[in-house]
Amino acid sequence: MKRRLSAAVDYALALLMLLAAWWYATGPMAMPTYLLPSPLRTWNALAGIAMTGELWMHLGFTLQNIIVGLILGCIAGTAIAYVMTRFPKLATWLDGPLVILQTAPKIALAPLFVVWFGFGIMAKIVLVFSLVFFPVFIGAVAGFRTLDPKMKDLAKLLGLSALQRFRRIELPAAMPEVFVGLKIGAVQALVGAVLAEWMAGKVGLGYLMTFASATYKTPLLFAAVLTTVALGLLLHVALTFLERRLLSWKGVANG
Amino acid sequence: MGQSERMIDITSVHKTFVADHGTVTALEPVSITIREGEFISIVGPSGCGKSTLLRLISGLDQASGGTITLDVAGAVRPVGFVFQEPVLLPWKTVLENVRFPLDTSGVRRAQGDKTALDLIKMVGLSGFEKALPRQLSGGMRQRAAIARALSDDPPILLMDEPFSAVDLLTRDNLNDELLRIWQSTGKTILLVTHSVEEAAYLADRVMVMTARPGRLKCVHDVDLARPRGEDTKLDPAYHALVAQLRRDLRTPAGEAH
Repeated sequence: MKRRLSAAVDYALALLMLLAAWWYATGPMAMPTYLLPSPLRTWNALAGIAMTGELWMHLGFTLQNIIVGLILGCIAGTAIAYVMTRFPKLATWLDGPLVILQTAPKIALAPLFVVWFGFGIMAKIVLVFSLVFFPVFIGAVAGFRTLDPKMKDLAKLLGLSALQRFRRIELPAAMPEVFVGLKIGAVQALVGAVLAEWMAGKVGLGYLMTFASATYKTPLLFAAVLTTVALGLLLHVALTFLERRLLSWKGVANG
Repeated sequence: MGQSERMIDITSVHKTFVADHGTVTALEPVSITIREGEFISIVGPSGCGKSTLLRLISGLDQASGGTITLDVAGAVRPVGFVFQEPVLLPWKTVLENVRFPLDTSGVRRAQGDKTALDLIKMVGLSGFEKALPRQLSGGMRQRAAIARALSDDPPILLMDEPFSAVDLLTRDNLNDELLRIWQSTGKTILLVTHSVEEAAYLADRVMVMTARPGRLKCVHDVDLARPRGEDTKLDPAYHALVAQLRRDLRTPAGEAH
């Protein structure tokens, strides 16, 4: 407990020093606002869009795309990984196309997604999905493949149905590996969501950034960037919490 | 039902595998009849087919020929199986693991809890109901595995080298516990082991198997008084049997020397 508190103090001190350096650069050093707005101006810009509700609309849109993409990517990644480990024949068929898709840089595909799926929400979710799918898929394949064969014997002895076996044995056993993929995927999801908004559309934190930089509203740009950073932190905290709840049996609770 | 009633009837059961270089005989034809409530030890070196025989009886593998008849009156899960490793579900507590066979066959939770708690008490794990497998010692995990194998009350308990991964002191304790459990439940038990001492100490009959190809060499009746305990290990008859089992394993039949 004491150690945790002192760590928190250390974090706070480091952040304070960063803030002080920022203030120093804009105040005594007199950096122009269009290059580096002061902490106060940035705060005012942030408070401004928070008051009008604009911030919440953009934040909500981006967060919603991330969550929908994460959930769909997780379900699809786990499901396809399971089907492939259950039916090795299918795996040999799907292996080639999947490797091509996997190695293709998804960021480079982003413009194509806009062409195919339009300026709306669809293209964004497809991009996030494509970024989340592969880490989860790879993790899940590893999880399903490393299942103790004796567990299969156990399932057979107990006469479990395919569904019981999946839900009660295979899925929980693969969860730690799925989670490794999910945590990588979540970082990618944020990148993907913001990037998709840069390219098209009129809403989202990414859009807010392009709008602010195009109109030389640097304080607003800073506000948008900081909000994105905060969103990333929030995702990380949420996933860590979820991991501790779901995988406490692994002994990660003290991590 | 009397002690002499047939529980397992094995007739000319054999098993061959198809390998890269032709077929491999894992088990030559075996025939034996096991009575209800009997404790059978199966002893032999690696590759003698003793685990194969157990897997065939359990239905985990299919025999290449011969018949196995279990007189279990249509029980859905006629056998409980204890593996060499505990094979507990690491995300479930001891109670949930022991209850697992019941949960997956639609037994009501209250009834399942009652049965599981009784069994946990019987195997000496009271106080550890809420513990996760990783928090237990190897011997305790194996106790939990035994409780799980017994939870839906199968008439037959198959054990594949269940105590080979625990230290010798723990093993002695677990052997005595197993005898106590056997006596209080009346299960028919088949236990595979590497240890001739363990085989002789526990069983009513010892099946001796030899390797390459795996075959049943002979079956010894164990005429040692029950209940068995430390005194049994001082009994000259026990030592004579252990020595005989050793000799059986040393000189494989048909091998000239």
